[in-house]
Amino acid sequence: MPTAKDLQSATDQEVVALARAGKEAAYRELLRRYERPVFSLIYRMVRDRELAEDLSQETFVKVLNALESYRPEYKFSSWIFKIANNAAIDQLRRREIETLSLDGAPGARTPDEVEATALQAVDRSESALEEMAARELGTAIEQAIGKLRPEYRACILLRHVDGRSYEEIAETLDLPLGTVKTYIHRARHELREYLGPLRA
Amino acid sequence: MTDKQLSPSELDQSLVRDLSRLPHYSPSRAFAAVVMARVRLPQPRAVVLYRRARAWVVEPRRALALGASYAVAASLALWLAVPWIFRQGSAINFVAGQATAWLSDTLRQAALSAAGWAVSSGITGFVDSLALTGGRLWFAVGTLVVGYASCAVGLHYLLRTPRGKDVALQPSH
Repeated sequence: MPTAKDLQSATDQEVVALARAGKEAAYRELLRRYERPVFSLIYRMVRDRELAEDLSQETFVKVLNALESYRPEYKFSSWIFKIANNAAIDQLRRREIETLSLDGAPGARTPDEVEATALQAVDRSESALEEMAARELGTAIEQAIGKLRPEYRACILLRHVDGRSYEEIAETLDLPLGTVKTYIHRARHELREYLGPLRA
Repeated sequence: MTDKQLSPSELDQSLVRDLSRLPHYSPSRAFAAVVMARVRLPQPRAVVLYRRARAWVVEPRRALALGASYAVAASLALWLAVPWIFRQGSAINFVAGQATAWLSDTLRQAALSAAGWAVSSGITGFVDSLALTGGRLWFAVGTLVVGYASCAVGLHYLLRTPRGKDVALQPSH
C-alpha cells in the first residue's frame, strides 16, 4: 500500500491508477495537487468566491467520479483544467457577466460588497513598503485580467500564472495552437495598455 | 512600477514576471471534505455485481417474470420430488429419525454442560443472594426490558441513513 510520501512523489498518471483501484488516499492526493490551481483559475474567471467554490466542487466531483473514462495518454492537468474552464465559461455565458466591474463582482452594490469581492493579490515581499507596492500592483493586474475577454483570460492565466505550455493550453481549451498564441499575444498587449498608467 | 523608460519587450517581460508572481487562491477549509463526500469511490467487484443484480431485479416487470419463473421451477421440482419422496418414505423416515435423535442428544448435552457450569461458577448463588422476589423482581425485569429497548432505539438512530440525503456507504481504506 503506497504511503503519503509515495503518493506525493508519484506522477499524476500513477496517482490516477491508484485512485481507479479504489485508494481513497489517491483521490485526496489529486485534490491536494489541484484544488488551489483549479480554484484560482475559476475564481479569476468568475470573480465571485462563493460561485468559484461551487464551480470548483462541481469540477472535482465530475473529474473524480469519471476517472474511469480518463485516458492516460493525455495529461491529467489538461483534463481537469478543461473541465474547470468549461464550467467557468458556461457560468459566464449563463449569467452574462463578461463585462466585469473594475473593483468587484458584478453583483456588488454597496461599498462593502465591492470591497469584499475585489480580488486582492499579495506577493511575498521583504518589507512593508514592498508588500504594499506588490499588493497594489497585484490588485491592478487582477483587475486588468478581469477586464479581458474570457477566452483571453483563460489563456493568459493558464500560460503565465499556472505555467502551462502553449500545446497544453491548446489541448485544454480545444483551440488551435496558433489561436492560443494569438490570444496570449493580444491579452498581453491589452494588459500592458490597462497597466500603462500604473507603470508610468 | 518605475519602468518608465523600458522598451516594449522589457515591459512585456516585466508583465510576464508579475503575472507569474500572482498567488494561487485557496478554497475554504471544508472544500476537500465536501468534494470527497460527493465522490463515489470504486466498490469491490462483488458489491458492484450485487447492486447491479438488485437494481435489475427491482424493476416491476422483471420482478414479476422472475417470480413467475421461480413459481414454475418450484412446482416442477415439487411435481418430480413428491413421487420420489413417497417411494423412498421408509429410508427418509430412518434418516430423519437418526438426525432428530442426534440433534436432541446434542442439545441435551449442551444444556447439561451449561447448567453444570452455572452451578460450579457460583452464578446461581449470586442470583439467590439478590433475593429478587416480588417488586424487586419486577423492577429488575423492567429495567432490563427498558435497557434493551433503549439500546435497540439507539442503534436504529445510529445506523439509519439521514432522512432526505442520499448518502452512499463507502468502504474505509
